[in-house]
Amino acid sequence: MDALVAWLQATTLSRMVVQSLWIWPFCETIHFVGLGLVIGVAGFFDLRLIGFMKRVPVSAAKELMPFAVWGFLLNLTTGIVFVVGHPEQYAHNSAFVAKMGFLLLAGLNAVLFEWMVSAQVVDLGAGDETPAMAKVIGTLSLVSWFAVLYCGRMLPFIGNAF
Amino acid sequence: MTEFLTWLEGTALAVWTRESPSLWAYPTILTLHTVGLGIVVGANAVVDLRLLGFSPRIPFPALRPLFRFVWWAFALNAATGVLLFMADATTKAKQPIFYLKLTFIGLALWNTMLSKRVIVEEREPLERERLSRSRRLAVVSLLLWTGAITAGRLMAYL
Repeated sequence: MDALVAWLQATTLSRMVVQSLWIWPFCETIHFVGLGLVIGVAGFFDLRLIGFMKRVPVSAAKELMPFAVWGFLLNLTTGIVFVVGHPEQYAHNSAFVAKMGFLLLAGLNAVLFEWMVSAQVVDLGAGDETPAMAKVIGTLSLVSWFAVLYCGRMLPFIGNAF
Repeated sequence: MTEFLTWLEGTALAVWTRESPSLWAYPTILTLHTVGLGIVVGANAVVDLRLLGFSPRIPFPALRPLFRFVWWAFALNAATGVLLFMADATTKAKQPIFYLKLTFIGLALWNTMLSKRVIVEEREPLERERLSRSRRLAVVSLLLWTGAITAGRLMAYL
């Protein structure tokens, strides 16, 4: 692990991040914008799966999901900048481990949705009730994304990042 | 004014927020502020995307419950925001970027109220004039919320 940290610290990107005054705040700002897109758009779809806003056809709610994916890609990119820039902050940080765990859970949950539920709910129109499995997956998604946010914000407090 | 800010910083609540080693003090208040940000900006973004014309099969009035999430999450951020300000009042009151943030938020919330009227009242299909108005509201909303996030983040650096 420490060898990996040293290797990352020696990369050009890492040196740029350390030396620049603006790269870190700039990426943090983008990271927060991406957070809003993921929580908002994925959360909206989750709420429809759980049974809120039933007048929205499920497939119409799903049509916005590419924006959540774009938000996630913004956060993945800026997140990589943080980890490469200051790997020493994340290498021994339990909040970071928990954050990655909840990200994995959110990802597996999305795979589970496509695999088990998507075909059953995609034709549900306005007013239609979603099956129990869809409600479970929607809840799990909401919980895991908010847990990702919580652990991320706790990086400096439970762990040692800034 | 300085006296008031110094007093504010010295109140038991401000001291607890700033100095308590408990994870429930500063870290949790800051995290709740971020949770509220996600809900306020996220729910607004969904409304904005629909106003821009994405996912046209979503009936405008079906989005109405999102505004309730916006107001509750905003209340959470107003409350946690007051605590965060109290904990560091003399410094934050001197930051121009803090007032810029408040301005962005005020304008963005006003814009949200105008968008809500469009969402609640519109009957589709929209006439051309109304359509361009809703698109304008959406673009302004996205810009103002991005501005508020940027100003908020920069408060830690400027």
